[in-house]
Amino acid sequence: MITVEDLRKEYGGFVAVDGSTFSVDSGEVFGVVGPNGAGKTTTLKTLAGLVEPTSGTVSVAGRAADDPEMRRNLGFLPEESPLYEEMTANSYLEFFADLYDVPDDVAAERITEALDRLDLEHRERRIGDMSKGMKRKVAIARSLVNDPDVLIYDEPASGLDPLTTNYIIEFTEQLAEQGKTIVFSAHNLYHVESICDRVIVMNHGEIIARGTLDEIRREHGSTEYHVYTDVELDAAEPAGDERYESVVGDMDAVEALRSQAAALGGSVVDIQTRDPSLEDIFLDIAGETPEQASEGERDRTVEAET
Amino acid sequence: MTRGSRLTAVTTRLRSVPSRLRDRWPPLSPRKTLRIARWEVEKSAGTIDRRTAAVALLMLVVGGLAAPVVIAQGPGLDDGIYRVGVEPGDPYYEVVQASDKFDARPGKASAAALNGGEIDLLVTDRGPIIPRSTRKGQAAYAEFRSAVVEYNDGQMHLEDNQSAAFPVAVDVFYESRGGSSFAPDGGTDDGAGSTDGTDDDGSGTSTGGDGSDTGEDGAAGGGGTDADGDDGVPAANLGGTGGFGGGTSSGDPSSISPPFPFSSLVLAFLFIVPMNFVIQAYGSTIINERINRRGELLLVAPVSRRDIIAGKTLPYLLGLVAVTVGIAWAIGGGPASVGAVIPIALLFLASTFVGGMFARSFKELTFVTIAVSVFLTSYVFVPAIFTDVTPIALISPLTVVVMDLQGQSVGLGEFTFATAPFLLTSLVLFTLGAGTYREEDMFSQRPVHRKALDAIATRVRSVGSVALVTMLLLPFVFLAELLAIALVFILPRSVSVPALFLTVAVIEEIAKSIHVYAGFEYARFERSKRAAVVLGIASGVGFFLAEKLTLLVQLVQLQTLPEGQSAFPDAAVGGVDPLVALGLLALPLLLHTVTATLSALGAQRSRRAYLGAFCVAVAVHLLYNLGVSGLVA
Repeated sequence: MITVEDLRKEYGGFVAVDGSTFSVDSGEVFGVVGPNGAGKTTTLKTLAGLVEPTSGTVSVAGRAADDPEMRRNLGFLPEESPLYEEMTANSYLEFFADLYDVPDDVAAERITEALDRLDLEHRERRIGDMSKGMKRKVAIARSLVNDPDVLIYDEPASGLDPLTTNYIIEFTEQLAEQGKTIVFSAHNLYHVESICDRVIVMNHGEIIARGTLDEIRREHGSTEYHVYTDVELDAAEPAGDERYESVVGDMDAVEALRSQAAALGGSVVDIQTRDPSLEDIFLDIAGETPEQASEGERDRTVEAET
Repeated sequence: MTRGSRLTAVTTRLRSVPSRLRDRWPPLSPRKTLRIARWEVEKSAGTIDRRTAAVALLMLVVGGLAAPVVIAQGPGLDDGIYRVGVEPGDPYYEVVQASDKFDARPGKASAAALNGGEIDLLVTDRGPIIPRSTRKGQAAYAEFRSAVVEYNDGQMHLEDNQSAAFPVAVDVFYESRGGSSFAPDGGTDDGAGSTDGTDDDGSGTSTGGDGSDTGEDGAAGGGGTDADGDDGVPAANLGGTGGFGGGTSSGDPSSISPPFPFSSLVLAFLFIVPMNFVIQAYGSTIINERINRRGELLLVAPVSRRDIIAGKTLPYLLGLVAVTVGIAWAIGGGPASVGAVIPIALLFLASTFVGGMFARSFKELTFVTIAVSVFLTSYVFVPAIFTDVTPIALISPLTVVVMDLQGQSVGLGEFTFATAPFLLTSLVLFTLGAGTYREEDMFSQRPVHRKALDAIATRVRSVGSVALVTMLLLPFVFLAELLAIALVFILPRSVSVPALFLTVAVIEEIAKSIHVYAGFEYARFERSKRAAVVLGIASGVGFFLAEKLTLLVQLVQLQTLPEGQSAFPDAAVGGVDPLVALGLLALPLLLHTVTATLSALGAQRSRRAYLGAFCVAVAVHLLYNLGVSGLVA
């Protein structure tokens, strides 16, 4: 459905995306993750035809991303909700439906359905008088007025309270169940883990990992063994109830701990395994946390602009 | 590649030009444009509360009702302008009272008051009417003469039954009082100074007879007096003791020769006033799309940038057109006035559009809109003052309006000369601004000069586009050079002509090189000497071809002025030897390619090198202009 080949985007001397290549299958929920400034938004805007690549190609449903016809079949939700606050939710959505050549009766039906599903009340209230969560719902409804096959959502739950965030993540899952192809970006990796089939992990404009979450874990992460003993071993941490926790990376190390505990007159009372999160994987690959990478990216951008 | 296959490739490429043009500049979608225009109106209406709308409507109604009255009354700037020393018992007292232009000073009817500068005109029944010997005194005198004629005619029109028993013919003869005396300005003379003009054959004739014609003829009689060159002041018909031989000069604004088109100018200015308000709203709507990235979602919708820009601009343009038509209807302007004002409105909107795209905040936008208001208002208004003086006045479309309001015919050439640069410049500005109407430029906070370079760089992609952009910049060049002419026109020739040579060289070299520099800055072209030479030649050729547009000046014979010849030497080659003329046509091509190449060579290295090369190019251009000027002379 979506093909990106050797995508590169420069802003002046700053390289926002550097040689990205990936594809998204029809009906797939595809995650683009990474810290702020990793190149996620630029990648998504290129898919939406908003940003022209410096080099490389992007096609959506067989059409170039800057083809106006491609846009008819695309719903884009930017990170912010840049709405026209003088308008009501209904008039705003009707206007966009009109631009997408949606017949009035069909548009009215779709708008009602989308707003019902999003549980948005006060549809004749001026958007400027709405809460941030309500505005986000209007923005999501706008991305659906043309009933697109492809949805590109950039940080859909950014800056929202937990309740609204969960609501929007669940709504996105429902859209995925309807067969929409969704490209979804987030710097909160938990959201990505919860709904994406495949992901690419970006940092400093480059893709540093890709595949299904299992594939990435297998390739870049390792299972941790949390070993609990009733005697204190070297490097063990107190874990309460007179237990001590040691974390090791393989079964040989587990056996070594068992021997140590026995030598001290104790024993291993529990062993738990824990798969790495995307955040752990990011730390493993990039050598820094997403937050540290964001800080570094800001510095890099400022240097490029000056 | 064989010759045949090369030909086929070229043919194929040429055939694909229309489709490539369509891809790059998709045609406007009227439906989408109108939908966006409707949305723009609805959206803007939503920002105005009912109370504000009611106040605005009230002001509009009051203004609408007041305007015809004000217009009917005419500009009252000269009310009571002339102080007249006249006693209430004097037969001329009522004449003075009847005219708005006079301020009767009953207690000052003395030579002392005249000499002391307390009055401009002394009217007594004891002797001649004496104006103060200043320009204002002379103007007061001339006005007094007209006022007497007007008063007498008015008195005759008071007759209720003008076609009573038999037709009556009334002949009015104005007798001189023996000449006018001018009091010295602040002097000590007693008012009996030199007599100026003793002609007493005033012969205004008012002929009644058929009743209905009486009035008109009476008025004609008055006019006849002036037309005859009679300088005697007519006597009031209430037992006045006669007039005086008058001075022949007048300082009244309407009497300046050629006349100062005061009334028409003020009325023409009415067209400009609404534009200054509309661009405030228009600029706001443009920058509103950029603040908080609000316009981003429109860019993702299946509409072209041109649809969006046209849709957002249309309501403001149509509003201005409607106001223009309304004003024209109210003040008696014709299609020529409306046709001349619309390009001004377009240029106001286009400049504001570019300003709105470049400004980084509302604060900057305010600066931009005020600058646009002041500059364009001055640009169109000041030249129009010289409507009847010099063809340079036609650099402003407002001059066409003044001519139209004065009842003068406006030739197609004059109309085209006045309006085409405005139209073309508007189109180029919209094109330039549209280049930045995209995600990457709209929402960035780069400085204005970087955005200007962005806008130019978006239009430069190939050698052909460099030539095209140079050609597109020609309207700016034309407008800037015309403005330069207007600015230096008042200077002595020894200063104005060299100043124009230099200004023209700078303007033209900027137009030929700025986009080439932007192209190198934005890595559109490889930084090499070969590329610089190719681009320089392309730009020079483009300029040469487009420069032929300057032949437009011949439409109004501007090249007959020394300033016109300096700014547009190509238009001034007529009348020279054919070989010289041929050389003069070929030499510009050589000049433009050489200087553009010089600048391009600097641009491909660095900004500093570009500035240095640009100065060299300007120097070469200046020397060329001086040389051609000598050759033509």
